[in-house]
Amino acid sequence: MSEAMTSLWQPRGAWEGVARIGRSGADAGPAGVRLTLREGFGLATLIVAEGKEADLQTALADRFGPSLPEAGTAILKGETGLVWSAPGQWLAVAPSPRDLRDLPETLRGIASVTEQSDSRALVRISGPQARAMLAKGVAIDLHPRAFGPGRVAVTSIAHIGVQFWQRDAGPTYDLTVARSFAGSLWRWLEHAAAEFGYEVAASTKDLIAIG
Amino acid sequence: MTTLALQRAEAPASASFGDQPFRTATGGLIDRNRPRDFTFDGRRLTGCHGDTLASALLANGVRLVGRSFKYHRPRGILSAGSEEPNALVELRSGARREPNTRATMAELYEGLEATSQNRWPSLAVDVLSVNALLSPVFAAGFYYKTFMWPASLWEKLYEPMIRRAAGLGRAADAPDPDTYDHAHAHCDVLVIGGGPAGLSAALAAGRSGARVILVDEDFATGGRLLAERREIGGTSGAEWAARALAELESLPEVRILPRTTLFGVYDHGAYGAVERVSDHLAVPAAYAPRQRLWRIVARRAVLAAGAIERPHVFGGNDRPGVMLAGAVRTYLNRYGVLPGRRLAVFTSSDDGWRTAADILAAGGGLAAVIDTRTTVPPALRRMAEAAGARVVTGGYVAGTKGHLGLSAIQVVDGYNSTETIPCDGLAMANGWNPIVHLDSHLSRRPVWNEAIHAFVPGTLPSGMQAAGAAAGRFTLAECLETGARIGAEAATDCGFTASAAAAPQTDPETVDHTPLWRVPKPKGKAFVDFQNDVAASDVELAHREGFRAVELLKRYTTLGMATDQGKTSNLAGLSIMAELTGKDIPSVGTTVFRPPFTPVAIGAFAGHHRGKDFRATRHVPSHAWAEENGAVFVETGLWLRPAYFPRAGETDWLDTVVREVETVRARVGICDVSTLGKIDIQGRDALAFIERVCANPFATLAIGSARYAVLLREDGLIMDDGTIARMGETHYVMTASTANAARVMQHLEFCRQWLWPELDVQLASVSEQWAQYAVAGPRARDTLRRIIDPGFDLSNEAFPFLACTDVTVGGGIPARLFRISFSGELAYELAVPAAYGDAAWRAIMQAGLPYGITAYGSEALSVMRIEKGHAAGPEINGLTTARDIGLDGMLATNKDYIGRLMKERPALVDPNRPVLVGFRPVDPSARLRAGAHFLSLDAAPSLEADEGVMTSVAYSPILKSWIGIGLIRRGPERHGERVRAYDPVRGADTEVEICSPVFVDAKEEKPRV
Amino acid sequence: MRIRCPHCGERDNGEFSYLGDAAPVRPEGLDASAAAMHDYVYLRDNPAGTIRELWYHAAGCRSWLVVTRDTRTHAIESVEPARDVARARRSGEAA
Repeated sequence: MSEAMTSLWQPRGAWEGVARIGRSGADAGPAGVRLTLREGFGLATLIVAEGKEADLQTALADRFGPSLPEAGTAILKGETGLVWSAPGQWLAVAPSPRDLRDLPETLRGIASVTEQSDSRALVRISGPQARAMLAKGVAIDLHPRAFGPGRVAVTSIAHIGVQFWQRDAGPTYDLTVARSFAGSLWRWLEHAAAEFGYEVAASTKDLIAIG
Repeated sequence: MTTLALQRAEAPASASFGDQPFRTATGGLIDRNRPRDFTFDGRRLTGCHGDTLASALLANGVRLVGRSFKYHRPRGILSAGSEEPNALVELRSGARREPNTRATMAELYEGLEATSQNRWPSLAVDVLSVNALLSPVFAAGFYYKTFMWPASLWEKLYEPMIRRAAGLGRAADAPDPDTYDHAHAHCDVLVIGGGPAGLSAALAAGRSGARVILVDEDFATGGRLLAERREIGGTSGAEWAARALAELESLPEVRILPRTTLFGVYDHGAYGAVERVSDHLAVPAAYAPRQRLWRIVARRAVLAAGAIERPHVFGGNDRPGVMLAGAVRTYLNRYGVLPGRRLAVFTSSDDGWRTAADILAAGGGLAAVIDTRTTVPPALRRMAEAAGARVVTGGYVAGTKGHLGLSAIQVVDGYNSTETIPCDGLAMANGWNPIVHLDSHLSRRPVWNEAIHAFVPGTLPSGMQAAGAAAGRFTLAECLETGARIGAEAATDCGFTASAAAAPQTDPETVDHTPLWRVPKPKGKAFVDFQNDVAASDVELAHREGFRAVELLKRYTTLGMATDQGKTSNLAGLSIMAELTGKDIPSVGTTVFRPPFTPVAIGAFAGHHRGKDFRATRHVPSHAWAEENGAVFVETGLWLRPAYFPRAGETDWLDTVVREVETVRARVGICDVSTLGKIDIQGRDALAFIERVCANPFATLAIGSARYAVLLREDGLIMDDGTIARMGETHYVMTASTANAARVMQHLEFCRQWLWPELDVQLASVSEQWAQYAVAGPRARDTLRRIIDPGFDLSNEAFPFLACTDVTVGGGIPARLFRISFSGELAYELAVPAAYGDAAWRAIMQAGLPYGITAYGSEALSVMRIEKGHAAGPEINGLTTARDIGLDGMLATNKDYIGRLMKERPALVDPNRPVLVGFRPVDPSARLRAGAHFLSLDAAPSLEADEGVMTSVAYSPILKSWIGIGLIRRGPERHGERVRAYDPVRGADTEVEICSPVFVDAKEEKPRV
Repeated sequence: MRIRCPHCGERDNGEFSYLGDAAPVRPEGLDASAAAMHDYVYLRDNPAGTIRELWYHAAGCRSWLVVTRDTRTHAIESVEPARDVARARRSGEAA
């Protein structure tokens, strides 16, 4: 393969052509919402095989901690973790798809593993108005008494399916949306965040090619 | 009455404020240091910050504000709240013009523009008021009686005429420039209403640490505390409200939503509210929404919405200047406005006497007090008479006089003698109705309380309790007590430790009343429903004509059907019907109240979902390239798919599509097929699962092979079709059509979770993970050889038709390759991780350059599948069986699967059912149209003669003619026969010949080379 | 309406899609009769009162649920994962 051909194979970020880096919306005072575009992360769907929950827990203990997250929760350490998605189903999250590449083999006979790193766009939402902004779209109680760090929800915003989890008490949320919907979800984010003023930042981590 | 009395009534007329002749010199909760200029019908006026448009108009002596709906009668301001039926105006201008806005709810801002409605040429001179002379014609049921004949004139003449004559404001004719927001809120205790009961409830609940939301439709919180001269614990009611509000604002878990109307109560503790975020400003602040629709979920709710005062029903009770007594007190006490120089009071209640006292305290002239009751406490009588007012007991107001506003009332005393008393304002006090709308929203009916002569909440929705006036507890002391108690109970129910503080002392009050439902002998039209111009005589007419049931009365007279939903009129209408039928009011019953409590702008419901955000749009992975290259897109469900890619010199879509098809058939093309649903099926029982959901067999499918799959519904009709590829021992990938992808996933989950929970099978949608491109045409293999990483053997022997495998591209990027063909050519589908979708597309375009590659869109895709006779959406339309589209030969015979039994229903195996075949026009230049019905050559068009329908057509560049596929009776037996494709909608009647649906490469050789 | 998904918690009914009566049981296998299948596909009771019905948490965890609801009041008595209900039914049949 020629040099020219190889150089063509660059990944395109899910937010490319959709989100504009910088400050937008109401411009008085500090931005109420910060939107950090994440790229290059690894995602995989793990679905436990019939009756293999204990085996799955053991197989993943070294990497993600001693127990599988219960319904509606996530166990996260930095950018790595397990996020509950459905009964018997979790999303493995890692800094790069490479970090998850061994899972199908490791979990053979215990769980089905499906590579999903490219299936979703991910935006990290923080800032003093993050909760108020998210509450415009999701019909779930986000009050600290009801939804705190480590909580996960699969729901919809503006009729678009989303999955999000709270990372810290800030609050900071990671919000994922199916890649083909990224443009429409972004328009909702812009609408919802406009009155608070928002700052869009690129992920600190550069795109990492699956190599 | 004596002249002397009148002069004395005028004497204390207050010194006015500024250039607002009816503004009292002092008092009220308005800010006199912040004047607000505004216009009404172009006239420049000045009010104060804190005014409503209604109070500012009254401060300027403007009493005439609109014309009525049917009769164009002059109308003024009846109320001081959201129940207002009369004072509807157009607010703002241009794109922001909003019709039918209640002046009593419009907060005054600098530069406000208001225009009266339903008048021409002007408010004072309205030629359409001749409708009033025709009022016999416009009486109840006039639509049904008057414009019956001839029917042909209805749409052309009568309806437009009526719409012009009877109507309200004009909507803006330009797009709304404002934005509308949606938000969700959750709380333990929702308090509806910010009056004394609501504030007490919020305090009791809020102090416990419960999460409380208080919604209040007013911009100033306090409800009637702002409108009455009352004392609580030694301070004024308004001061008490301000302190309560300040405390609530200091509680971190309490949210106050002023300017917010709770408009709907829904099941399981869900509520709808609209917040008028920016309606008190000329233009919303930058980036701020105009309104915000709240969806609130509350564990408990305290209904403290208050009550609405009842008008009296007497002749000319709609004349500007006639007002509810509570509203008169609101204008006097809250806004510092005298609603007239000489005011009379018509009362059946102690409230009327309180009104008289407030009028005098504000420096107004009291012309008369007419109490329908015979006995009145002597002290009150002395108070009025000392002020020079005429006092009539056991009498009533029979009629009113005045041109465009009230100038006198005609009073009948206890001895039936009539006198005329000059006055320019009349306050009506006929008791109050608790606001039972919200607690009735879940199909619940209010119950009659004889003690207070009003409907009160019956069985409340689960989790809701009523407090204060909304519960029929009208005294201030009761409002404070019930509010605090119920607020505390609500918080306790939510697990908090709450108690009601001892209610503070209030000054004494009496609320006795004996309502008079209508006066015995009115002089002139006595209105029941002001907004819909329904008079007492219309209720009588409905009674005479037999429309006596309450729901019939409502629909025949339109009583209560206006935008105010009969807030001031329903009970009056019911009580008259009760009297006419000799029943009591509870036996007559009430109509059903439904959301919304007050009108809500459609923009608020739409929120973000307008224009291109009306619904979500999904983009394919090659979207950026398609846009850069001028693709024309088509909406397919939510997807925006490239339909075709025009090149310079191509003059219409057909040129382009023909070029794309010819290029694929002769060289190579690439098409984005990522919109197909892709489902990973894994697990020990994956094969067993597939065997049960698919109608064709898969037991023999080898690893590395793909097969066409057809799924039936349990009723035997086709659900969808696609392919299933076996990627490993227990790993399959199924595709579903673009339109059915979500539905198929739901169906598979149903089968997995509900039908066969014993199977070990795991389903994961990978539709978004993989960008998938069809690379089709004789040079497809040559093109892909330059894309797939070296070392992979693409030869026909190594990777034959219907093979599938994992490969890598671009130097190690994992990909999946399938040798499947929708076009009938040598074709592959290459799936790459979606982030590489853009790169892969560009790489394939470059790799195919030497072979003359073209991008092709959904149009060319469709042409080629029709040339191949492949069924798609128009054929798999929920009405067809596998047999109908020629697939019965592939169905399994030795396994159970969904739809197996029901596909054998007699009607589905009827040999006369239309079956899929091809059609060519006998005249090769004739155009075919999908949707045409087939008729035999000599049949007259009729349902009986209908033999089937043309489902899909295309211009075939290979055959140089239009071709079609469609369903016709016994089609496969009739090849060569001629029929007509009859299409009266588009005026076509084309002779066609039945043929095989496979027009190209009938031996299926091309995809196998 | 609000439905308490046993996995996700209480959600708006807009997240769910409705199928209908959970009582009919699919006649399985090659021995099933056309008449039994006809009843399974078409025959439904329409009670004014309590009914067990199938809902799908489409916008959430994609679980099929058995919701016990009073058709007169919309009061929801219980929400169970359909898979658990189906398994219990299976083991009941086996016993």
